[in-house]
Amino acid sequence: MYKEIEFRVNGNKVLYSGNPLRRLVDVLREELGLIGVKEGCGEGECGACSIIKDGKLVTSCIIPVGACIGSEILTIEGIRDTEKGKCIVDAFRDGGAVQCGFCIPGMVMAAYALLQSNPTPTEHDVRVAISGNICRCTGYDLIVESIMLAASRGGELWQ
Amino acid sequence: MAVANYIPETLDEALLLRKAEGAIPLAGGTDIMVQNKRGIGLDPILDRPVMIIAGLKELKGITLHEDGSVEIGALTTAGEIASSLVVPWHVRMAASGMGAVALRNSATIGGNIGNASPKGDLPQPLILLDAEVVLISFGGERRMLLDDFIKGSKKTDLRSDELIKSVIIPPHDFTYSYYRKIGMRKANAISKLSLSAAAVVKDGLVVDFRASSGAAGPKVIRSREAESMIIRRSIEDIPEIVPDFLDAWDRAISPHAMPKYRRNTTARMLTRFLEAIVNEEDHGIIE
Amino acid sequence: MPLTSIDDKVVRVDAEAKARGEARYIADYSFPDMLYAYMVRSSVPRGRILDIHLPQLPEGYYFISAKDIPENGRNELWMIGKDWRCFADGDVKYVGETIGLLVGPDRNILSYLLDNTKIDYEEEIPAVTIDDALSLKGGVIYGEDNVLCSLYCEKGRPMKDVFDEADSVFTETLETGFQEHVHLDTNGAIVTEEDGKYVFYVSAQCPFYVRKSVAGLLGLNYDDIIIRQVTTGGAFGGKEHFPDVLCGPLLVAESIIHKPIKLIFERKEDMLYSVKRHPSKTIFRTALDKDGNIMGIEGTIYYNCGAYLSASYVVLQRGVFHANGVYDFPATYLKGVGVATNTFPSDAFRGFGAPQTLFAIETHLDHIARKFGFDPAEYKSRYFLKKGGETVTNGHIVEEVKLPEMFKQIADASDYFRKSAEYGIGSGKGIGVSFYNHGGAFTGNGEQAIIKAHARLVKTGERVRIEVGSTEMGQGFQTALRKIAANALGIDIEDVDYPNPDTSLVPDSGPTAASRSTMIVGKIVEECAKEMKERWAEGDFSVEKEYEHPEGHPWDQSTFRGDAYLGYGWGAAIVEVEVDRITNEVKTVGIWTSHDIGHAIDALIVHGQVNGGVIQSLGYASMEKMENRNGHFRQESMSDYVIPTSMDFPKQEWLLVDNPYEWGPQGAKGMGELVFNGADAAYVDAVERALGITVTKIPIPGEDIEEALENV
Repeated sequence: MYKEIEFRVNGNKVLYSGNPLRRLVDVLREELGLIGVKEGCGEGECGACSIIKDGKLVTSCIIPVGACIGSEILTIEGIRDTEKGKCIVDAFRDGGAVQCGFCIPGMVMAAYALLQSNPTPTEHDVRVAISGNICRCTGYDLIVESIMLAASRGGELWQ
Repeated sequence: MAVANYIPETLDEALLLRKAEGAIPLAGGTDIMVQNKRGIGLDPILDRPVMIIAGLKELKGITLHEDGSVEIGALTTAGEIASSLVVPWHVRMAASGMGAVALRNSATIGGNIGNASPKGDLPQPLILLDAEVVLISFGGERRMLLDDFIKGSKKTDLRSDELIKSVIIPPHDFTYSYYRKIGMRKANAISKLSLSAAAVVKDGLVVDFRASSGAAGPKVIRSREAESMIIRRSIEDIPEIVPDFLDAWDRAISPHAMPKYRRNTTARMLTRFLEAIVNEEDHGIIE
Repeated sequence: MPLTSIDDKVVRVDAEAKARGEARYIADYSFPDMLYAYMVRSSVPRGRILDIHLPQLPEGYYFISAKDIPENGRNELWMIGKDWRCFADGDVKYVGETIGLLVGPDRNILSYLLDNTKIDYEEEIPAVTIDDALSLKGGVIYGEDNVLCSLYCEKGRPMKDVFDEADSVFTETLETGFQEHVHLDTNGAIVTEEDGKYVFYVSAQCPFYVRKSVAGLLGLNYDDIIIRQVTTGGAFGGKEHFPDVLCGPLLVAESIIHKPIKLIFERKEDMLYSVKRHPSKTIFRTALDKDGNIMGIEGTIYYNCGAYLSASYVVLQRGVFHANGVYDFPATYLKGVGVATNTFPSDAFRGFGAPQTLFAIETHLDHIARKFGFDPAEYKSRYFLKKGGETVTNGHIVEEVKLPEMFKQIADASDYFRKSAEYGIGSGKGIGVSFYNHGGAFTGNGEQAIIKAHARLVKTGERVRIEVGSTEMGQGFQTALRKIAANALGIDIEDVDYPNPDTSLVPDSGPTAASRSTMIVGKIVEECAKEMKERWAEGDFSVEKEYEHPEGHPWDQSTFRGDAYLGYGWGAAIVEVEVDRITNEVKTVGIWTSHDIGHAIDALIVHGQVNGGVIQSLGYASMEKMENRNGHFRQESMSDYVIPTSMDFPKQEWLLVDNPYEWGPQGAKGMGELVFNGADAAYVDAVERALGITVTKIPIPGEDIEEALENV
């Protein structure tokens, strides 16, 4: 039986010994101060709290921290200063993807997960990849175009 | 105020917790964490202990057996099922239409079955395919048809000392296959209605015919009585059987909300599928 | 980077921080010793409060309610009316009405206290729908007849005479449902104290509204309260007046507790217990000659206002003034009635009353056109308003109306006429069209008589700071306004600052609403900038100006006659669909729009606004169903109240016509609401044609299409 939950967040070791049912989003936001992880619905429906866990996009509001033993967690804070992260952030900025911005960190994580596995996505691929990330402002077109821009600008970065 | 929650390291530990405390297994969390959420900054509280089994390797993976059956470990995610080459088409379709990317990376087949929601995506095609569920406890394993295991909305035959170990899908070779899920929108949607159908046609004779309706009653509906009206009939006979068959199917389903839409759409989908058989359309997937 | 032209796309000032996750929304703020607040709300739609049973409150925990309002204060939130109570007292009028606040340091304990707070009610029968209200179900809620507000306007000959001469009268009732804003950033506010003043951090559109609304609770002067807007993650009207409902109780709590207190709604609270778009019911009676020409239209328009008036009278006015759409009919009589029900008060939502009646008139005209065998677009275009044309309030259109050109743009782009002719009615394929407009800024003389907006520019060295109360909530105003100022000043946009407003530091430029920010506030800023440019050599100084309404455009608010709006935005939309005849699933295959927003300030911002507004409108028409049964909303999460995803609608083709507006900054008019106002009707037209059905109510998910098909 595990008594402690050890995992890594953005490369840093985290040791957690509280209730394993604590929501990962609360651990990230309230205990680690990673406020780039947003909570929009609390039930995995909107994607604002999207993070990458062991290479896969997941919503941190419905994952108990106890499910993270040995996991590598990446949040927006962990990618925004990397070459790949900057590539997406810059494309979002230049492509007009950002309006109110609340969904955007999660959207950037979804784009990151997509481009990691599919460096040359079609428009349809992009729409599927962000279909769990709800945006009420943009109507998605400029977000889709910005992700395509990140793919083309990044080029070999994503291979 | 809160009960203790656990993270077993091994399947044995999990089974022990199950036996000793009746601990509720939590795999992806996509149901339990949502149903028991209390708000921002607050941990979910259940009236029984929860054990987080997400890490149990014993319950993961997809195996193609020599007899052609496919065994899917309970902790296999919808995403893994959707991208597997050995999982039957109906099940892959259902898995790939579940929620969106992030949800598919968390939600597991065991959870989807154990939660037994009438709107759950995976039970519907699994029941079509006569899938069996393997249940494990210290007493050993037992197998039963998934259709028998799920007893009603949120009700299963799972004993308090058991865990779902895997699902076994027997081999099949359908001439025609059909799958539709209708959600409230095009993606990331709970099922409003779903239908799978399949048939084997040989020399103008319908050798096998089956269908299953999701979100059309307290559990997935397979009407063997209606199916038997089609089986062993020649395709020329089918047009005259269709009205009675549709009536029988309509009696079998019991949609609570949107009854007219669900009934009529189900009838239209079944009609479309039968039409493909009668017209001897190209074998394969019917749209 | 030197600024060359106003048309240049610029990078949004807020984009990078938001994309990097560095922008701080209200949920991201905390203060030392901060307490949390949970709302205790009514669980019944109508009744008397008999008793409130509180569990034993541990030390440091508080229950704040109407009893805590001091003698010199009043239990009212001053929105436009003052009828919305800060705390229910004695009775409750809707599910979710604030009864009290539980405040304390530990959310687990607060959650326990909330779960164990029991309220006894003597329940009464609620009136929920417009028909309930009109039939006085359960007894009168308001006045003698449940009519909270009403108005009428007329033009041309009396409709009675027109009906007498008509060959036929086409009567139809058209309805629209509730719509929830679903800004991703839920409502939230924090109150604290600084140097003897109450300070609010709040996710809001209108900081000065909050200050005005809550001051009376404690009998305070406005200067005793400071409102600081924080990065606001979407609003769409849902944070125009509604933040008052959070800040009022917080202010009362703060006056007793004197510690920072944070109140954040979770999604379920935002869904169930926040304002919505007004449901509507419009009855049109249209007088027609034998050839199907329109002789006149009579409209009776009902809006479900919920339990309090709040801003409903103004919403209703806009609904009535837009009820003839973009058309000039010879005669019209339009009456608006806002009724009181036991539902959560309806309030501002992008379009502010116009979308309901625009849907109604567009769909009604489609039905008349089809009845007489005309192409709806051709039929409607006969009646387009023109410059100088008379509006329903006997005012006149001041600008060139470019609808024919706009329609040609999108008809060509979509191949409308070929498809319209080729796709037979009921063929499963359909193409639909709609025309719409949106009056810019406040209705009537609101800008000059009520708002009296001020803006200030402050020059420090070579930098200029914009001081206004207008807010960025995602629409791009921080970028647009900086661009307007920089362009007028002839300096780099990087040298212009525009921080989130703090009411103690900036003049009141009026609410960020009514598509008025660019048109009105932008104009004042431009005027300030022009003066500042002339005096640039004077060193450090500031320029402040008040809005000046152009002369010669009278408005009488008592009779609703005159120029209701000094300029409109105009739009035309075409939507193409394919309907699966087995499942009734509608697939939208094309969206084409053209808008006249004067002269666009920034192409990229405009692109984003068009896309977003159009998709919200398509969601409104197709899937966004919010039902209320017996006073309870049935949809409480983002899985049962669904809004469009990236998969639901295809990439849009959007076009503009350039039509510089005389009184706007650099020729710009408002656009934020316009782009919501028409795609819904085009979608409905397309679905109707594809299936040969008649739709009189939105939204139309598959199950409602099934019903409509049965009636064919």
